[in-house]
Amino acid sequence: MKLSDKYLLRRIWRYRALYIFILPAVIWYIIFCYIPMYGLALGFKEFHFNMSIWESPWVGMRYFKQFINDRMFWPLLQNTVIISVLKMVIGFPAPIILALMINEVSNKYFKKTIQTVTYLPYFVSWVVCIAVLVKFISPHDGIINSILVNVFHKEAIYFMGEKNWFYPLVLFTDIWKNVGWNSIVYLSALAGIDQQLYEAASIDGAGKWKRMLHITLPNIMPTACILFLLNIGNLLKAGYEQIILLKTPGNSGLSMILDTQIIQQGIQQGRYEYATVAGLFQSVIGLILVIIVNRITKKLADVSLW
Amino acid sequence: MRKSKIQISTIINYTALCVLGIITLYPFIYILVLSFNDGYDTLKGGIYFWPRVITFENYIKVFQDSNILNAYGITIFRTVVGTLIGTIMCSMLAYALAFKNLPGRRFIVFFFFFTTIFSGGMIPYYILLRQLNLTQSIWVYVLPQLYNFFNIMLLRTYFETIPESIGESARIDGCGYSRVFLQMFLPLSKSVIATIMLFFGVAHWNEWFTGAYYVQNKDLFPVATLLQNILNEATFESATFDATKMNTGIATAITSTTPESLKMAFIMVMTLPILCVYPFLQKYFVKGIMIGSVKG
Repeated sequence: MKLSDKYLLRRIWRYRALYIFILPAVIWYIIFCYIPMYGLALGFKEFHFNMSIWESPWVGMRYFKQFINDRMFWPLLQNTVIISVLKMVIGFPAPIILALMINEVSNKYFKKTIQTVTYLPYFVSWVVCIAVLVKFISPHDGIINSILVNVFHKEAIYFMGEKNWFYPLVLFTDIWKNVGWNSIVYLSALAGIDQQLYEAASIDGAGKWKRMLHITLPNIMPTACILFLLNIGNLLKAGYEQIILLKTPGNSGLSMILDTQIIQQGIQQGRYEYATVAGLFQSVIGLILVIIVNRITKKLADVSLW
Repeated sequence: MRKSKIQISTIINYTALCVLGIITLYPFIYILVLSFNDGYDTLKGGIYFWPRVITFENYIKVFQDSNILNAYGITIFRTVVGTLIGTIMCSMLAYALAFKNLPGRRFIVFFFFFTTIFSGGMIPYYILLRQLNLTQSIWVYVLPQLYNFFNIMLLRTYFETIPESIGESARIDGCGYSRVFLQMFLPLSKSVIATIMLFFGVAHWNEWFTGAYYVQNKDLFPVATLLQNILNEATFESATFDATKMNTGIATAITSTTPESLKMAFIMVMTLPILCVYPFLQKYFVKGIMIGSVKG
């Protein structure tokens, strides 16, 4: 025991220079990630401006009850979950389909061009994406509405202000911005499949769809699982940047989500305790979901984040 | 591949991809065209693929605006400084974590990883920034974004592909770990470093949230936040965009620009720098992500 202790210390000493490389990161993570985690205690305290979070007095579950019993609690939770689930059901398979389509292309230049083009929106800020969209669908001079009015002789639609158009806009912009980028990982998974499998299958008489079903899909499953795992923890975040930017008075009945409430009540109106509880709720549910789904994917597909 | 005839499915596939490409690209082209067109002429409508009355006035006006120039300065500062420091710090950390025999390596990685699945949320973070006095400082855009777990893992996975024997043999010759890092690892990793710099650069250039909700001081707004402000006001008043809201310094009465046309130019000014950079780095970041995804 003594000997191995000494051996470990010697190894640590040998790598001392590397620990100095790691030290700033540890300090940074403590300050910018772990101190805010401690700050979650604020949800069970009463914040005083002249005191730190540490010194503020405990008030138990008061703000937690306030958060749960608030009449906005269920609408907020419902809106958030619906947006997230819609994105998962419709937005999640989109890059897989795109990757399969790109993979079928044999012309090298066409392939590269379509990839470059579809990556583009990912590199552009959400602010720009929504600004471009707003211009494009504007009721006054937007191109979509001028086609509606001039070609089809219909009335102009105020897309941004109408509740019914909120979910289609969310899904469209989400896919539009991310589908190309997310397809990269799937393309790399597809490139890793042994071509001999396909040849063997076609000798055995498997058609195109059979090959896709029995070779391609099982091979990209682990990648899909990892990405799903990385997404599920953000279920109660619903991609808030995009939602904040798409939110207008007209669609606020659907676009009020937990994060918009946290910003409005917490940062703008100073109800720190209430907003902290809301954030704690998001984080805890997210963590639980990641742990549960990780356990499932580990069993089913041998995929685990840790 | 031995196909004699062109199949219908191939044609459908190519067509669908073309349509997707057009849907992706055209909105940007539309804005680009409008930004080069005379503002009052645009109001007549009918401009889709090419400007009718070509003018650079919109861009000149945008670059004469003191608020926009100030915001531009802040964006450039945070992009350059944030990218450089972030890339250096992340690659140093990733280099250390790439040594498989480092005692405590698994625990240290988990210490960093845990923050990606659990966080303190916005409010404790905001209070922290205030207590550090960062909400009144330009460093709020740099310091809290120094490390990024995804980037660290990408770098580490790449460094792990470099044979450890290279490092060890150099050490026998009397080099320290830091010299091995600077003189052997970095030169071998140019492509992945370029990828990380692109990721950091794009993230800094595009980030608007910090400015909008944590800072609230208009003199410290980066371009993205300024654009969000303008957009916000526009949507709230159902797209009737008041000239005075764009900026105090712009007089639109005697010129060929309108608030809308200025906005188009502003969107392009915010977008074009990135569009000029990323296609050239495509080879690198695609490779980088592929290496990263092999290990997960």
